[in-house]
Amino acid sequence: MDDDQTEEETAFVVDEVSKIIKESVEATIGANAYQHSRVNQWTTSVVEQCLSQLSKLGKPFKYIVTCIIMQKNGAGLQTASTCFWDNSTDGSCAVRWENKSMYCIVTVFGLAI
Amino acid sequence: MEGSDTYIIRPNHQYKFKPAIVKECIREIVRERLSGMRYDPEEVPELSRSLADCIKDKVKNAGFDRYKLVVQVVIGEQRGQGVKMSSRTLWDADTDNYAEDVFINDSLFCVAAVFGSYYY
Repeated sequence: MDDDQTEEETAFVVDEVSKIIKESVEATIGANAYQHSRVNQWTTSVVEQCLSQLSKLGKPFKYIVTCIIMQKNGAGLQTASTCFWDNSTDGSCAVRWENKSMYCIVTVFGLAI
Repeated sequence: MEGSDTYIIRPNHQYKFKPAIVKECIREIVRERLSGMRYDPEEVPELSRSLADCIKDKVKNAGFDRYKLVVQVVIGEQRGQGVKMSSRTLWDADTDNYAEDVFINDSLFCVAAVFGSYYY
């Protein structure tokens, strides 16, 4: 029975996750302008796409994905997060994306099982 | 020699992550620290970090054993813009849960979310 898993397979790989997030955001809101009526659907879709790609990685992780979409109008936005976890196995990745009319910040937290 | 199974792999009902209690923790801290505050771009990074740390410490002290915590705090300026925040998780719905609270005043809005995940 093969119980050993190599380091790479069970660590949180930030680059891989970051790539998944960027693809999800581009696919959902890539070329669109901010529309209040569609924002609900966009955030849901970004987050669900990220999650389904992450689960396809097949790693023994629990994931938390959050997405904030904000209209550009000169206002400031700050996000901070702090975690109580195991530094050697868990990790997080935040991606900040923008276009002419809105900002989008997606954060993924991966907690090893 | 017989051993008994004592390693707990699922929390008992009274030891589960209780969103109502955590939401109360978040509410107290946020209301106390942010009432009457104005959005100041210089102070906000420090403020959001320290809010997140306070919330994390308070939830830790509430005694959720074996739970990993993730606390996220978002503070934004109120200028009439539209904002939407959403989250999804891939976890064990029986043992894991989350709590969040939103605080709004004239010059800023603040969303604080705490996610608790059981460590088997």
